[in-house]
Amino acid sequence: MLSTTLLCGLLWLCAPLISAKSISGNRVLVVAEDPAIEGDYSQFLGDLEARGFVLDIKSPRAKDLALFVHEERSYDHAVFFPPTSKSYGNVLTAQNIAQFVDREGNVLILTSSSGTTDAVRDLATQLDIDLPPRDFIAVDHFNYDATSSPEKHDVVLIPRPTESEDSKNYFAGKPGEVIAFHGVGHSISNRPLLFPILSGSRTAYTYDSKEDEDGTAADAWAAGTQMQYITALQARNNARVTIAGSTKMFSDEYFEMTVKTPKGEELPVHNRDFAIQLTQWTFKEIGIVKTVAVRHYLTNQTDAEINPRMYRVKNDVTFEIELSEWKSSHWTPFSASWAPFTIPSTDTLQLDFTMLDPYYRVPLLPSSSTPTSTIFSASFRIPDQHGVFAFIVDYKRPFISYIEEKYTVTVRHFAHDEFTRSWDISGAWVWIAGIAVTVSAWVVFCALWLWSKPTVESEKKTQ
Amino acid sequence: MPPKKATSTSAAAAAAGTTSTFTPKKPSTKPSKNPVAMAYTRYIEDTPQRTKLLDAFLGFLVVVGVLQFVYCVIAGNYPFNAFLSGFSATVGQFVLTVSLRMQTNLANKGAFGEVSPERAFADFVFGSLILHFFCVHFIN
Repeated sequence: MLSTTLLCGLLWLCAPLISAKSISGNRVLVVAEDPAIEGDYSQFLGDLEARGFVLDIKSPRAKDLALFVHEERSYDHAVFFPPTSKSYGNVLTAQNIAQFVDREGNVLILTSSSGTTDAVRDLATQLDIDLPPRDFIAVDHFNYDATSSPEKHDVVLIPRPTESEDSKNYFAGKPGEVIAFHGVGHSISNRPLLFPILSGSRTAYTYDSKEDEDGTAADAWAAGTQMQYITALQARNNARVTIAGSTKMFSDEYFEMTVKTPKGEELPVHNRDFAIQLTQWTFKEIGIVKTVAVRHYLTNQTDAEINPRMYRVKNDVTFEIELSEWKSSHWTPFSASWAPFTIPSTDTLQLDFTMLDPYYRVPLLPSSSTPTSTIFSASFRIPDQHGVFAFIVDYKRPFISYIEEKYTVTVRHFAHDEFTRSWDISGAWVWIAGIAVTVSAWVVFCALWLWSKPTVESEKKTQ
Repeated sequence: MPPKKATSTSAAAAAAGTTSTFTPKKPSTKPSKNPVAMAYTRYIEDTPQRTKLLDAFLGFLVVVGVLQFVYCVIAGNYPFNAFLSGFSATVGQFVLTVSLRMQTNLANKGAFGEVSPERAFADFVFGSLILHFFCVHFIN
């Protein structure tokens, strides 16, 4: 009772964090074969419900389980708990889950060291995430919980990610906070769509617990900072898939535990806050950026047409893009709205003006902001090349939805009357003067000739 | 040329003889006169007024053309069409004026028998107008 009242207090403190709303719907499918999951993970599921999600807890072998109904997704998000049996049945195949992600469904997959199903393993292989086989366990002999695993060291203490100036990190906490983890680590490839969320420390590794009894191993599945505990993939259609190596880290037991480091320090764990942030990100409540509008027009012309289809070489053009970020408001629960989007100070948003190759790659700087968005703009002169050009904005950063915009315009030649006239070119003035002098001298000559005495024949007679 | 020379010296001697003291003019024996000065004197005395007018115009055109060319050498030929237009105005005008001179020179009457001086001048004006039209449009 005391712990639940304490947790209610914690819940109030966490209120600012949990008043976000997903932009892609609130229907969540929770795949759980073990009926005890509802009880063991009550706080995790309760936090989801508190944010307005409607949970549908189903066993993978339930007869009415269907990811799609009439070709539409029947859920917006899915949480997969590891099954007690060996597979998920024939509804939740890797292909169906992949199709769910193709249709912009978000998935959170929890694995554990007691084995992963073929469906999840196939899906993870498609995502270039290498999950270890059954009975592998992640250990760290320098950062473990001395209370719950004094000998095996398999309850690993992971420091929470910290805020960074260079990129948006939605899983950060204060320095010194730890997360308790009991599960497996996996390795990933260098695919640009994969974002590691929790990585192993230099002293951690995953090994086959059956192979060696005393916690050492000859062949580790993955080790050190190349081992990830939790990895996320944001697909090209901005659907999010998160694969976590531990299910227990989201349980009530782990939310409430106090750990003791090998040095003897007693710390509370922040699994609950981290779980809230992880589900917020996976279910599209944070890290969502959208393009509100794109405008390009001639720079120094009043009432210029917005987004014309044709420009001329050497026109001065201004390009504007308006970006909004989905943010929760801190004083009104269950509501969120669009807010201006800011780029980290060490990063730039770039505009490409390309025809096969970029002729210009200029930074887009924030020029103004509305209450719901920021306007980034850049001005430049169109190069001296005609053709079909495109304005391309391509901003792909970790944990933010991808911004890809492409607008095609034609760039034409000078028209016959748009070339610079000779008197506007200062180098030509001398020759204009030369022609003028020649013509006026000719006029004077003709006048003198006509009014002069004609040559008389008598001159010849004298000879 | 020798017979002409003889007649001109005799004419000069006759003219000199009627005015004052008889001093036979023998240009070849006078030490201070050189061929260039001689040619210049003869040019001044012998050429008709109209031809001298033509020659003055020709000289002026040469000066203007040389000035434009020197500017081109110093400051470059951008824009090139302007240089061509200005320079060819002077060169073309020079050519037309030379042809007018050839056609109106009394010494060439045998070669241009059917072309009267007035017809030559009319051709000159017509050609010059076409040249000016071209130059003004080429320089844009």
